[in-house]
Amino acid sequence: MSPGLTLVGQSGLTYFGRTTASISHELKNALAIIKENAGLLGDYLLMMEKGMPIDPARFKTVAGRIEDQITRADGIIKNLNRFAHSVDDPVKAIDLNETAGLLGVLSQREAAMRQIALQVIPQEGTLTVTTAPYLLLNLLGRCLSICLQHMGAGKTLSVRVAKEGDKACIVFDALDAAALASAGSFPGESESALLSAVGADCRLDGNQGRLIITLSNR
Amino acid sequence: MRVLLVDDESDLASALAERLDMRGIEADWVDSGQEALERAATVHYDLAVLDLKMPKIGGLELKARMQARYPHMKFIFLTGYGSEKDFETVANDSGEQCYLVKPVEIEDLIRLMNILTQDAGGRP
Repeated sequence: MSPGLTLVGQSGLTYFGRTTASISHELKNALAIIKENAGLLGDYLLMMEKGMPIDPARFKTVAGRIEDQITRADGIIKNLNRFAHSVDDPVKAIDLNETAGLLGVLSQREAAMRQIALQVIPQEGTLTVTTAPYLLLNLLGRCLSICLQHMGAGKTLSVRVAKEGDKACIVFDALDAAALASAGSFPGESESALLSAVGADCRLDGNQGRLIITLSNR
Repeated sequence: MRVLLVDDESDLASALAERLDMRGIEADWVDSGQEALERAATVHYDLAVLDLKMPKIGGLELKARMQARYPHMKFIFLTGYGSEKDFETVANDSGEQCYLVKPVEIEDLIRLMNILTQDAGGRP
């Protein structure tokens, strides 16, 4: 196996592990809230059985919390399913808006932990590219992590899908160009191997504070 | 016993606080490390239950800062991860295995609270 393929494989496994760990944490939180609030409902019932009056509004509030968390957990599992199926086809035509959207939901927690708001801006309509879906997601995930590492708390990172001539782009916007420049060598070996595997180029626009990934194989 | 619950999942912290209150444990809750530091400056707590992963001030940092100011306080970590690495991090940092994996059984939490406060000579 070539060194490039080995790097792609290692990077892919790392990204898969990191992402599923983050998703499992989110699910655990949702389940913990459901369990605690279900327990609280049980406590209310015990109190009522002992003749203590409980305001029905309290039941409504707690039941509402449980419903919210079930909706949250359902969304998390749907995203996990989409992520898992991204490895189904080594190469296929994909809508870049959907990939950016999935990247956004998978990365929300990572951004939130750094107190950075994450905003995904789709291209109007669909923007189809033929590429390796999972490897592209892996590349974009690495880029997003690097951007987050070099942004201050309280800022907003935009991930924008755009057309550039006959090419398709993903633009990471509102970066601190100076901080990103001090990040050392970007793209590193793994990012370079992924760029090559998905047929993409990347460039840093220091003046605009942007990292741009360009896909040529539309 | 008076405890402070700190978790960025406010629907978890508030429900847990209410359930502890029903069991005779005075429990307050906040949803950030900063709020925890502010609250602890005005209220005497015997013990704090901290989420390990929180934005800005995580559980381990919060514990270090609170312990420096309030050496009597005991700490229990809650973690959603449950990986070996997380357990080692908490155990190594605290010197004792005072963590629970979410979702927690409230009886387990109260048992651990009692053990820690009894060790400290506090009321069970």
